[in-house]
Amino acid sequence: MKLDETIALLKQGRHVPEETVYKLCQQSQELLMYEANVTRVDTPVTICGDIHGQLHDLLTLFEESGGIEKSRYIFLGDFVDRGFYSLESFLLLLCYKLRYPDRITMIRGNHETRQITKVYGFYDEIVRKYGNSNVWRYCCEVFDYLALGAIINESIFCVHGGLSPDVTTINQIRAIDRKQEVPHEGAMCDLLWSDPDDVETWSLSPRGAGFLFGKNEVDQFLHKNKFDLIARAHQLVMEGYKEMFGGGLVTVWSAPNYCYRCGNVAAVLTVDDQMDRNYTIFEAVPAQDDVGNAIIPTKKPQMDYFL
Amino acid sequence: MDNKNALGRGIDTIQITKAREIHMQTVRSRMPQAVPVPTTQTDSMGPGNTTTNVAPQVGGCHIHRHRANNPNNPPCAHCGAVIIPAPKARFPAEDEPSITIGDWTISTRKKTILNSVEMEQWEEKLRGLALPEMIFGNSFVRVENKAHGFVMEFNALEALKAVKLEDSGIRVSYAHKWISSKKRNREKSADLQDTSLEIGHHYDWTYTTSYKGHFEGPSLKRDDQERIPIDKLSRPDPILFYDDMILFEDELADNGIGVLNVKVRVMNERLLVLSRFFLRVDGVLFRVYDTRLFVEFDENKLIREYKEHEDTYQNVLANKALKHVRDPKAMLRDSNWVASQLPLRKRECEVLQL
Repeated sequence: MKLDETIALLKQGRHVPEETVYKLCQQSQELLMYEANVTRVDTPVTICGDIHGQLHDLLTLFEESGGIEKSRYIFLGDFVDRGFYSLESFLLLLCYKLRYPDRITMIRGNHETRQITKVYGFYDEIVRKYGNSNVWRYCCEVFDYLALGAIINESIFCVHGGLSPDVTTINQIRAIDRKQEVPHEGAMCDLLWSDPDDVETWSLSPRGAGFLFGKNEVDQFLHKNKFDLIARAHQLVMEGYKEMFGGGLVTVWSAPNYCYRCGNVAAVLTVDDQMDRNYTIFEAVPAQDDVGNAIIPTKKPQMDYFL
Repeated sequence: MDNKNALGRGIDTIQITKAREIHMQTVRSRMPQAVPVPTTQTDSMGPGNTTTNVAPQVGGCHIHRHRANNPNNPPCAHCGAVIIPAPKARFPAEDEPSITIGDWTISTRKKTILNSVEMEQWEEKLRGLALPEMIFGNSFVRVENKAHGFVMEFNALEALKAVKLEDSGIRVSYAHKWISSKKRNREKSADLQDTSLEIGHHYDWTYTTSYKGHFEGPSLKRDDQERIPIDKLSRPDPILFYDDMILFEDELADNGIGVLNVKVRVMNERLLVLSRFFLRVDGVLFRVYDTRLFVEFDENKLIREYKEHEDTYQNVLANKALKHVRDPKAMLRDSNWVASQLPLRKRECEVLQL
């Protein structure tokens, strides 16, 4: 398989043969298998939040932040669902991973599961593009091998969702058997799903499942593990990033104009060797180019005689 | 584009021409699309394939009757006077398309989701409600009769004020399993003793709202016997003004969707607004709460009908129609189809005769 050719195809959003996807997924699994649940990453590094299948914006992200040839990246998950190019976005990252293994770390998001992708678009996209669901199955197998977190220079903890009451030290995350579908409960589930909020202590979401954690939990976790920052994604932020709890936690969001209609900007966070934080803000690509050709297949507002 | 004057006028003209082109590009996207004839009606009022987007129809447009109120509005296909707005035009940054027919003025505004500063202000205003993920808080649909001092508006803030600040009683499908496993863990580990398994604060996380639009001016009178005249609305009368917008949306942490959407269509003699709250909690339940606002311009009569539909997820999924569909989940995302399947739980109707 010629990796560079596949990368070129993907960047143009063009069809990749099923066989190529199969091989790509196989090789990625072999590579990911040897990664720890929590991988160690050195500075300088750029932390990226949710992508959600917005391929053109992912390309902008690389352009604006130095590019994979020059910089190191951590992606905090949610590569797929909602956007029109989930497959291309995910495969492009896998290709980069195979091509430059030490420059890209991929963490699992709550959308990298069979159950969620069936409801939120990735499965439908595959069936539409291939006429069957094989490619979806190959990708889901890769999801099971993605890391759960990363640590930058022993001082920044990266995770998709947030903390878990079952996790007070990093060793407890290392002990998880991650190679499975994300369970509905337990530490692995919490890491991918929980949200920071203005709460005094761990509290249960009114939905009846899922935790909310506050400043106290963040401070304790940082103190116990001697960290300075928790970098997470998972929640839409109009400005692309949001620091909370006196700078102890940051939410990074990297899908501009989310769902092609929210009008938000996106951000990535670059941490340099001095551990200084620099945010790069970028906007969505326009839906049409200068001469009116569609770049993104947007739904035209169709007038209808609704009743 | 008129380019014949571009030569010989120097740089200014070129800039003006370029500016015109940019403006054209922006407004072109708002030109009316091909309009399909109604599909829901059973007895067609004419030939089924009537196209309504043909060149100006003599007498069909009533040029003296309606008036576009926004200078940015592009001409409509029917008579060259009315804007048909589209959501994706990002330029001009703020746009309030509007149309007037007789005493009635209909205007809409569509903007991006609230930023963090606005979110904080809204948290103050909506004390106790954890805000939905996407709030299009500066968007609205407004129907106004200046002569009688009547205004009705649909916006997100008022809709969210109607969300209850108490336990909704609804839990996600796996809540029981989740809590019992947490309880087991807590018994096993001393570390977790102080982990609360209480809900931090209660609010209706499904964002179910009984919002019917809010108004100023003469009050509506309750009359459940009144009906919206579906036959009149089923006619393929040219649509002079159309808009469709989301006021708020939340993905319920990927447990489904709660979304409030408002659509408006204005014809020469009447208008219809449909404000729909659609809720799907995966594996648990569906809700469709509809408010329809109907105005017959010449009679100065307004009817507002409110309907609540609800059923369990299992009941809807068991529907025979889904047995032969390749992707039943896609049907469950279609609020029109779901609404047609859910039993009516409540109906209220009000009338205003100005």
